[in-house]
This record gives sequence, C-alpha cells and structure tokens, in this order.
Amino acid sequence: MDIHELRITAELAMLDLDEREMKVFEAEVSKTLEYFAQMNAVDVDGLEPTTHVLMEENRAREDRTRDENLSDRLLEEAPERQGRHIVIPNVL
Amino acid sequence: MAEYQSFIGLEIHIQLLTATKVFCGCRNRFGDEPNTNVCPVCLGYPGVLPAVNEQALLFSYMVARALNCDLSKTAYFDRKNYFYPDMTKNYQISQFHSPIGRNGWIEYETGGELKKVRIHDVHLEEDAGKSIHRGTATLLDYNRAGTSLLEIVTEPDMETGEDAEAFIQNFRRLVRYLGVCDGNMEEGSLRCDGNISINLKGKGLGTKTEVKNVNSSRFLKLSMNHEIGRQKRALEKGERIVQETRLWNEAQSRTEPMRTKESAHDYRYFPEPDMPPFRPSPAFIADVDARLVELPVYRKRRYEAEYGISGDQVQFLTEEKPVADFFESTVTAGADPLQAAAWICTDIQKNLNKLQIGLEESSLTSLRLAALINLVKEGVINRKKAELTLSLMLEEDKDPDVIVREQGWEQISDSGAIEALVTEVLQANPKAVDQIRGGDMKPMGFLTGQVMKLSKGQADPKLVQAVISGKLGS
Ligand SMILES: [Zn+2]
Repeated sequence: MDIHELRITAELAMLDLDEREMKVFEAEVSKTLEYFAQMNAVDVDGLEPTTHVLMEENRAREDRTRDENLSDRLLEEAPERQGRHIVIPNVL
Repeated sequence: MAEYQSFIGLEIHIQLLTATKVFCGCRNRFGDEPNTNVCPVCLGYPGVLPAVNEQALLFSYMVARALNCDLSKTAYFDRKNYFYPDMTKNYQISQFHSPIGRNGWIEYETGGELKKVRIHDVHLEEDAGKSIHRGTATLLDYNRAGTSLLEIVTEPDMETGEDAEAFIQNFRRLVRYLGVCDGNMEEGSLRCDGNISINLKGKGLGTKTEVKNVNSSRFLKLSMNHEIGRQKRALEKGERIVQETRLWNEAQSRTEPMRTKESAHDYRYFPEPDMPPFRPSPAFIADVDARLVELPVYRKRRYEAEYGISGDQVQFLTEEKPVADFFESTVTAGADPLQAAAWICTDIQKNLNKLQIGLEESSLTSLRLAALINLVKEGVINRKKAELTLSLMLEEDKDPDVIVREQGWEQISDSGAIEALVTEVLQANPKAVDQIRGGDMKPMGFLTGQVMKLSKGQADPKLVQAVISGKLGS
C-alpha cells in the first residue's frame, strides 16, 4: 500500500493521522492487505459467498410497535438539547 | 444543427407504509414530536442487534415483482459507509451486492401510448434522520432515522421531461394500488432524482448529470427539459459536460451545480454482519404473488377497450384503486358500464364533495348503485328523480327502491295516465298546438316540459313525447 492510498483511506474513515502514525500504519495495513491477498488467491469459483457463519437465517420480526418507549431516557444522554432536538455544531 | 438523443433515468425512493421502522420496533409516523420514535437500535448504540421488518420485506418483494424483476433468492444487506450526523451509526444499512430485485421492466402510458422502461434494481434500505441548520447549531431529529425506504433505479430509457413526468405519475399510481406507499411527493414519501445525458444520435450515452430536489412530477418534467437544453447548448459551444450533481431551483426554474466537497465518494460497501441473509420461502413468494393486483395502466386500457370509456372518465375511474374496484363491482352487480362510469364520475362525486366524505366512508355500496341504475333502465324512475334518490341514499343509508317507494317517485309509464296529462296540457296551450299542426315543431319541447311539470317530474319523458306526437298527428 502506498502512502497516497493510506491517506485516502484515513480520510474516508475520518481519521486524522500525523506523519509518525502514517509510518506505523503504512507497515501494518500493508501486512493486513497481504493477508487478504492470500485469501483472494484461493480459487472459489462456483461457490456461493458466505456472508455469515453463525447466524440463523431469516431473522425477521413482525411489524408491531414496542410497548415501552425509551426516548426520554435516551434524550437525557444527549450533551446538548433544544426542546426535543439534539444539538450539535453546525455541519453545513 | 446536429441531432441529439437524450437519456433519462430515475432513482426513486419510496417510504413504505409499515407500522414500524425497518430494523427496530419504533413507530414509523410522520409529524410526531422530534425524537419520540427512537430507540437504541435506530440511534446506533453499540451492542444492539437490528432485525428486519417482515412487512417491509413483503412490500419490497411486491414492488420488485410488479416491476418484473428477477427476485433475489438470497437477499442480504450491506453497510454503506459515510459520515453525516443524520445517520448515527456512520453507515446506512442498504443493499448493494444482492438487492431484492434486478433486471426488471415496466410499461407506462403517455399520450395513449405504452412505453417500456427497464429497471436496474430494487433495494431496501433505511432512511436518515432530519437535520435543521440554524446559525452555529444543527438540530437533529431521528424520528425518520431507520424507517424503511425502498429505492428503485431505472435504466436511462426515457427521452424527454414529458416521459419522466408520465413515468413518475404511472409509478405513483402503481405503488398506491399495491398499498405499499402513499406516494406523497410534497411530504417526501415518494422522492425522485433524475440523471440525464445527451449525445449525438447513434453515439450512445453521454456524460450524465444528476438532478436532485425535485418534489413534484411537474418539476421533474421542467428540470429534465431544462437540463436537456442546457447540455445541448453546452455541446454546441464545444464545451464538455461535467459529471456532477445539480439542484433544481424552483424559483428560477433552472438547475444549478450543487456545492460538494471534492473528496472522492467511496462507500466501501460490505456485508452487514448483524443481519443474516433473507431467503424467501415458497410460502412467502406465494404471499407476494397473492397480493399483486392488475396494474392501473392495464386497468385503464382494459376499460377503454372493453367498455369504451375514455378521456377524463377513464382517468378518474382508474386513478385510485378503491374507485376502480367500486366501479367493477357495480358492473358485476349488473349495471351498464357506461352508466356506472357516468354516475361515479359526476353525480356521486358531487354528493361526496357536498358531504365531505370519501367513497369508502359513505353508505353507498356497489349493489345499491347498480340497483339505482337499473331502476332508471327499467323505467321505474327517470334520471332526474334518480339523482334525488342518490342524495337520499347517501344521507339516509337506504336502498334506492325503498326511497323511491317512500317518496312515491315511481315514474308514470301507464299510457292512460299520461294521455290524461297530455290532454290537459294541449287544451291549455292552443297556440302551441296550432303551431305544431301547421308544421312548426318548435313547441314540442315546451309541451313535453309542461306535461313533465304537471306530473311532478314523474312521467316517462319518452312516452310523453310519443303520446303528444300521436295526438297531434305529427
Ligand atoms: Zn428504533
């Protein structure tokens, strides 16, 4: 992985990395990618991709509202509020 | 001037009419107090486990089926990663690799002609919350976060703004017929972005732009046509079209570039590990098929071909499914289709407007309407009295024959009784009689009217005319 790709990846992940960290990650991420390259090399032609191994299938739920409403308690956790709105610094 | 070809594709989002959100049991309702319908799942708390709403799946498969898609045998969800505060998890649960439907097509009607649009895919995802930007602050409301949103992506098979407008109107009718979305573009339960490119004829697709912020079918038409014109002028000046997202400016009736950050978009889709794949069982698919209905576009064309109903009438009859269903059951109950259409489109509508109720809330049934129509056909009452009967039927919740009997409105079709009435009128109007005898037929209508008046509107007008003609030898 070159440093340019790492920079883009960090940006997409909203990570602010300094030069020292970039150096560290360049090596670590490259190693991780090598591992993926090994997996990519395996011939899986004709096999259905496994997206989940531990979960039962069709875990759907009925379209029914829950009885309890936690919204007031959840709102109490917000650091800043205005009425029932959660307030954050302007992102525009 | 060079000849251009234009290509329009649409990305349509519809909010599904489910009681709860798509991955949690919060209520799905527009207009509640901010942040009342929220829970740890839709607020993106760590450690929670989403579970998909089976009604949302059912609705999604219904739409995919109605759009003739190949249905996914294994639908799984993906995470679409992006950072924006209206999505607390920093990813949206969507579908990318294995959407519910693919490779579909649908016909729509414009100017009486059927046109076909291919469907790229139909996928289920969650909606985002709402943010209001005020001064130095942004206010967040997560009531809409995690509600079910179905995205339908068409291929660029439309050519003009008029095509796009007709398509979205047909599509809106379709989802309302299926009962999966209320189709309200102003409130945003049906949203539409258009992408558009033009090129010299025969050269295939050009560089496309995307137009957002279109919240009515009319604006869709205007924005697409505006964009075709803008791209043409640019190409003719030798400029290149920049691939970009543009916004429809309603006040100025034009599209303009949307300011965006220059960072490359890469959503880094990957399978949602919290959600197992959904494999529809044969019973589920059977349920989907059982809920499909004759699509409005075909219903309209069938009424035109089978019954000869046209213009505004056929449009009105097929606009809403309950009205079309009511019409059909009236016909099934033995009413003449053209009569049923005329009653539903005019008299019934007038009465319902006066009472300010809808057809379904009214006491009118298709059986009662068929009975009323047949009372006129059999000559028991005339059309004028039938209109009064209808008003009373709606007000008093009674069968038409009961009202006619109670009011004593049976038409006088007994020729003896009518002859007596005619004799009386002829005697009272010697001038008119002389005119007709002299060959001037003008007073016929006047005399008929006088007889009708004398009978309090209950005489059979056709019989009255026949008797007058017989007596005056005309
Ligand atoms: Zn929730």
